This record gives sequence, C-alpha cells and structure tokens, in this order.
Amino acid sequence: MSAETLTWLAEKAWFIRAFEGAIARAADAGEVPGLVHLSNGAELLELAVAHALKPGLDQVTGSHRSHGIALSLGVDPYGLACEILGREGGLSSGLGGTQHLIAPESGLLGSNGIVGGQVPLALGAALSAKTLGTGGIAVAYFGDGAANQGAVLESLNLASALKLPVLFVCENNGLGQSTASSYAAGGVSLLGRARSFGLAADHVDGTDVVEAIKVADRLASWVRSAGSPAFLEASVPRLSGHYHGDAETYRGNGAGPTDPFDRLPKLLADRDVPEGLVAEMKARAEAEAERVVAKATQAADVSDKALQRYLKEAGA
Amino acid sequence: MTKLSLRDALNRAHHQIMSADDTVVVIGEDILGGSGVDGGQELGGVFGVTAGLAARFGEARVIDTPISETAFVGMATGAAMTGLKPIVEVMFCDFMGVCFDQIMNQAAKARFLSDGRFDLPLTIRTTMGAGDGSAAMHSQSIYGLLATVPGLVVACPSTPADAAGILKAAVAAKGPVVLMEHKGLYGEMGVVDEALPPVPLGKGRVVREGADVTIVAVSAFVNRAVEAADLLNAEGIEAEVIDPRTIKPLDLPLILESVKKTGRLLVAAEDAAFGGFADAVISAVSRAAFSDLRAAPAAITPPDAPVPYGRKAEAVWLPGTDEIVAAASALATA
Ligand SMILES: Cc1ncc(C[n+]2csc(CCOP(=O)(O)OP(=O)(O)O)c2C)c(N)n1
Repeated sequence: MSAETLTWLAEKAWFIRAFEGAIARAADAGEVPGLVHLSNGAELLELAVAHALKPGLDQVTGSHRSHGIALSLGVDPYGLACEILGREGGLSSGLGGTQHLIAPESGLLGSNGIVGGQVPLALGAALSAKTLGTGGIAVAYFGDGAANQGAVLESLNLASALKLPVLFVCENNGLGQSTASSYAAGGVSLLGRARSFGLAADHVDGTDVVEAIKVADRLASWVRSAGSPAFLEASVPRLSGHYHGDAETYRGNGAGPTDPFDRLPKLLADRDVPEGLVAEMKARAEAEAERVVAKATQAADVSDKALQRYLKEAGA
Repeated sequence: MTKLSLRDALNRAHHQIMSADDTVVVIGEDILGGSGVDGGQELGGVFGVTAGLAARFGEARVIDTPISETAFVGMATGAAMTGLKPIVEVMFCDFMGVCFDQIMNQAAKARFLSDGRFDLPLTIRTTMGAGDGSAAMHSQSIYGLLATVPGLVVACPSTPADAAGILKAAVAAKGPVVLMEHKGLYGEMGVVDEALPPVPLGKGRVVREGADVTIVAVSAFVNRAVEAADLLNAEGIEAEVIDPRTIKPLDLPLILESVKKTGRLLVAAEDAAFGGFADAVISAVSRAAFSDLRAAPAAITPPDAPVPYGRKAEAVWLPGTDEIVAAASALATA
C-alpha cells in the first residue's frame, strides 16, 4: 500500500473514531434522541472496503451500526451528525435517525433497524446495476449475529442463483448484542456457509489494514468483472458496548479486544511519512469531529416539520 | 399485597409459572444473555424481565437463541403442539415482520386446521411503544394488526397486576396469546397480590367511572386517559375510562354498557390510524349500539406515518393527555 493510501486511510480512520467519540459525548449530554451503536474497531475494514468501491456507481447497505460505514463512503459528517441528533440538516431531517441512515448520493442506500433487513435490499441494488448495465456493484454489510437470519441466508442463495454483482461483508466481532457468535452460530465457519452457497469467499483480519485493502479490492474487482457474488468475512473487534451506555456485564472478565489503531503509527513510520504527522492527524481529527458535532448540536430540531411534509404528501 | 414495577411483576410471574409447571420453557434473544461468553454475567433480557430464570431453572428451560426469529418462533410453535408450554420473546414487536409467517400462518391456524386436536399453549411476549427515540423500527404498536389474524389472542396490559395475571392466563390458554408490553410502562409501579392471580383473557376493566363520555384506552394510554379524566373533571365533564386489557377477544359488553350510559365514545390507541384498534371498536359499537350514541365516536391515534426519530416529530406523532382532553371535551359538548 502506498504512503498516500495509508495516510488517506489513517486520517479518515481517526476522524471516524473521533466522530463516534463526539457523538457519545453528545449522547451523554442528552442531545441524542436514541441509542447509538458505535463503529469503534471496524473503521479500518470499512475504509478498506470503501477504497475498493466506485463512487457514483456502487451502493451499500448497512446494519444498525453504520455511522462508520457512512463516513467511510464519504457521507457528509455534518449531515450525518445532524441525522443522529435528529436536527435540521440531517440526511432525512431527523426522521430516520442513527439506525436509518440514507445517503444514496454517496453510495449509502440505507442502514437498518432490523437485523438482516438490509441484506436483500443490496441484492436489489445489484439487480438494478446488472439489468441497467451500469457497471456498479452492491455491498451488503452485516454482523455475525445477522448471519443467522433467514433473510441473510436466503440472500446468499438468491445472489448465487441469479448471479448478482453483490459483495457480502460479514463483520464478525464475535458478539450479537450479549450473545457470543460461538454460541449462536451452528458450524464452525461462516466462510464455509458462504462457499456452500457457491460464493467466492475469503476471510480477512479486519485489523490488518494492509491485508484488508488487498482482499477487499480483490473481491470487489471480482464481483465487478465476473458479475457474481462474493463473501468477505472480516474479523473486527467491537471496542464499545452493543450500544453506547451498555453496561456490558455479559462481557466476562477476559482482557478486552485490542485496538487495531495501535498498529497505525508504526505502519506510517515505516513509510517515511513526516515526523509528527500522526499526532497532527489525530489532533485534526479530534478538532474537526468536535466542531462538526458541536455545530450539529446547535442546529434546530425541525423533524416535526418534516413529519408534516410527509403527512401532507401522503394525504393523511 | 405488595408494590412492584410492571417489569418485576412479570419477572415474578415467570418464576411462579416455571416453578409450578416443568413444561414451561422460555425462549428468545438475550433472555439469559452472555451465552457463550467466557465469564459473562446474565443480562436477563434487554428489559430485565427474564432475570434470574436461567440460574433457577437451568439453561435447558431458559433458551437463548440466535437472531433467527422465524426459526425460534416456529420452534416454539411446534413445541407447543408437542407437550411444552413455551413463552417466546420477540424483543420488539417490530421484529415480528421477520417471523410473521410463523405467527400468522403457523401458530394462529394450527388449532383450526387440526379441528381442535392440537392445543397450542404458546405465549408470545413482545414489547411495543413510542416515546423513547427508538425510531421507525423499534417503536411500533401493532396490536390492531395482530388482532386481525383469526386464531390469535392479543393482550396489552397497563398495570403490573394485569401484566402478571395475563401472562399466567396466557400460559394456561389453549391457543396462542400475544402479550404486548409497552416499553414506557416497565417502571410503572402498582399494588399486586403476591400470588399474582391470573387475569381472565377477554375481560376489560373500568378504571374510573363517569357518566358523560366513555374513553377506551389501551396500554400506556390508560394513564393518560386517567390524567385527562382529572382535567376534564375541572371542566365539569365526567369521563369513564375503560382499559380493555385484551384487544381480542374484546370485552365489547363492558364498552357497550358504558356507552349506553354516556352516549359518547372516544378510543385512545397507539396502533394504526387506519383500520386499527380504534376503528375496530368504533365500528363494533356503532353496529351494536348505534341508537345509544349521541355524538359521532372519536379516535385518538398517531397519524398514518411511521414513528419518527427526532424529538419534536415524535412528540407530535404521539398523542398525549392534551389531545385526549380536547377530543373528549369536544365530544361531551357535541
Ligand atoms: C430482527 C431483529 N432482531 C433483533 C434485533 C435486536 N438487535 C439489534 S442489534 C442485535 C445484535 C446484532 O449482532 P450482529 O449482527 O453481530 O451485529 P453487531 O451488533 O455485532 O454489529 C440485536 C439482537 C433487531 N434489531 N432486529
């Protein structure tokens, strides 16, 4: 990976982490209507996938935990923050909120409150791309917990049967809410499941950004050129609670997961980036995230007007 | 008598039911919690209703599931056909969208299709309700929708005693019962008899007597209707508040008796604005007692829109005491 790619990725990764931190503080201050599911730990993997996509062509669907996916795709942080805070300027004027993020202009077709609900929708985006010959592909993100949903298993099969250009990205953080994947998933391997449906499938350590970039790129290119589905299982840690504020008593007393960001400074140093760049990037990310979320906090709540608009249009 | 929250009353009822009957099993996501996590402590359900059950009755009877609603609701249904009495939890009623075949086609129709040769002692517990910023897919109240399905009993208790008592009646029932718990009521305190006696399904309750207007209010709306009745009193209007407790079968006789006295009907419900519980009650009363009505019946429901996330929108979406007062007072003077 080039120094430029790595710098781009590190800068964005620190921004996403800082953004989630600022959102968590806003939630603690009572500024966020709902519970937020933070992306901490999955940033590098999501940026690696975003790096393999074509803006303007590809569409992505995500789960309840999609703030980081949105930012990785280049969704405007202020519009995202306002949506999470339910304010004017939000992606959907605050009607949808943290679990229902919609920014198709940036390639985010939608995130979802129903575990697994987003996955068939990605098949639809893939069908449109295929039928209309756009050259685009679709990406469906979901967790290891969602991998046990009928809608997800049906989608693996349907995508394979219809030969749809969709990349399934299963972010395996070992937990679905409080339940371990090792308990909930029958069989030892999610990869084996995908392969049994006839999908090209690979696993990547999502904390290894160099590998993640390679594997995501290879699978996305294959989906695009072959027009067939592929499956990427990525091991990523869930560094925070299921939602922000979760007491996590079910976690056990083992050592918590390690932060994939710990490896970034050395990776950058190995590429001879200027001295002090890391500290500079982190500081910039913190300041920018703080500024964006603080500004969103100042924005008005106009969600009532958005609701009235909807009702008027629906003739209700 | 003792004072308990609705959550604790339900929890105690689970303990009593499971200790009295070995065939009762509890099934759902994170109802024990920490399954498969080394050294993890129990969660006891996301709202704590199933706390302590696994420690007491064992993990063979308190079963954490994968996130596979279709499969585990269907499993509970099949188990109810074959000797167990499952209490299955669907964490939020919004998630019933995932497993609606098992509810609508499998559980609801089995007794009919077997010509009564099966009993189906299946209890489906779920949560509902807006007001906490949970947005479009974690806030719905779909009791009216469920009640349209032949074969389902649907109950929406508003007090700790009723919640516990209806759970007991549901487990003892021959057919499937959906018990819908409003998230906003889990902390609601109430006096209960320690024995938590069963509450008959299909029997409503007059919460407060009054001669001028009948307010039929469901679940979290019961408290708002009582508050409204206090405010209406100041205007010289006496409202009678009825909590149907069971959505279907509906205690229509109780409502008709009240309407005979007041001649005025207001229904306050959090489910659908179109074709929901309010419309069903108004239709049933209009057909059965048109001549008793002195004014056109009225409904307080949210508008015909998904539950919005932003605070102001959600506040507009969810009617409150003021709307009930305004509607009841307009009705009383109509
Ligand atoms: C159909 C459905 N069932 C249950 C839930 C409640 N729920 C929300 S997130 C979650 C865990 C999801 O785990 P996973 O797919 O591994 O994603 P993660 O949270 O680890 O990112 C659960 C059980 C839901 N939102 N929708």
